[in-house]
Amino acid sequence: MSNKLALRELEKKAWLRTFEHGLWDIGIGSMFLMFGLTIIIDFPAFSAIWIAAMMPAFRELGRKLVVPRIGHVQFRARRKLAKGRLRGMLAVVMLLGIVFFLFFTWMSRGTSPAWAQWISDHFVIFIGLVWGGALAATGKLVDFPRLYAYGVLVFGSLIVTDLIEGYHLGISLSLVGGIILLAGIILFTRFIRRYPKLEDGLPETSNG
Amino acid sequence: MGDTSKHEITIDRIIHEPARLLITAHLYVIESADYVFLMQNTGLTWGNLSSHLSKLEGAGYVDITKEFIERKPHTMVQLTESGRVAFDTYRRQMKALFEDLPEA
Repeated sequence: MSNKLALRELEKKAWLRTFEHGLWDIGIGSMFLMFGLTIIIDFPAFSAIWIAAMMPAFRELGRKLVVPRIGHVQFRARRKLAKGRLRGMLAVVMLLGIVFFLFFTWMSRGTSPAWAQWISDHFVIFIGLVWGGALAATGKLVDFPRLYAYGVLVFGSLIVTDLIEGYHLGISLSLVGGIILLAGIILFTRFIRRYPKLEDGLPETSNG
Repeated sequence: MGDTSKHEITIDRIIHEPARLLITAHLYVIESADYVFLMQNTGLTWGNLSSHLSKLEGAGYVDITKEFIERKPHTMVQLTESGRVAFDTYRRQMKALFEDLPEA
């Protein structure tokens, strides 16, 4: 029994190590920051520019700075599925953000039906529930505890936005995005300091 | 000679060595990993890791293959089927060995 538990711990430790670098946090934080800025500057193309610029940048950061430090690992089927779910969650959150933005634009024309008006009245709480819920549920599904905190942060900040008269959704999302982004940057800096670049010091045959 | 000596004879000494046990345990819970990942997770130096992996490879317990990940060569290590069976057997034997101990 204890042996079984120790093996499970070993696997979990190895799994969590692949999240220590903070790049996922930087990605999630900058995505919410992007949503906030898109609303503030009222320029939908900003999202497309962000996606086009940030995706290759994350890939390069992972390849050049993360893999040489913690190496490359293939987990078993359950964990592979979890990574897929995490990517899926990011895609869904991003897609929902665009849908919400389009809905908002449509609503501002003032010709929308009653049901749309009802959603519009509860719009901020609605997206808070969807985004916060998506983050927390994914945190549970992929065994990535920081996502719970981010889910609560997103939901809480959007509740506050709804309660405070005149508090701008764009500012609220930018603030949440900024906090998550900052957490990611701190984690990334700590990761770079904690793990030396091992690949350079290895004989050519091993090469990480 | 009692039961204990019987266990001593059947315990797989390739896996029983602490560093190799650590390597095998890590490889058992994942699918495959490169040298850097194993070094970071086991705390072994490259020389130590390399020497123990050679022994495990010699016993047919691990497969060491070169592959390209994002256009860079990587040496990936994977537990073979016989390595997985050997580790399972080792776990069962150790459990049985300690469960056999009389109360102090």
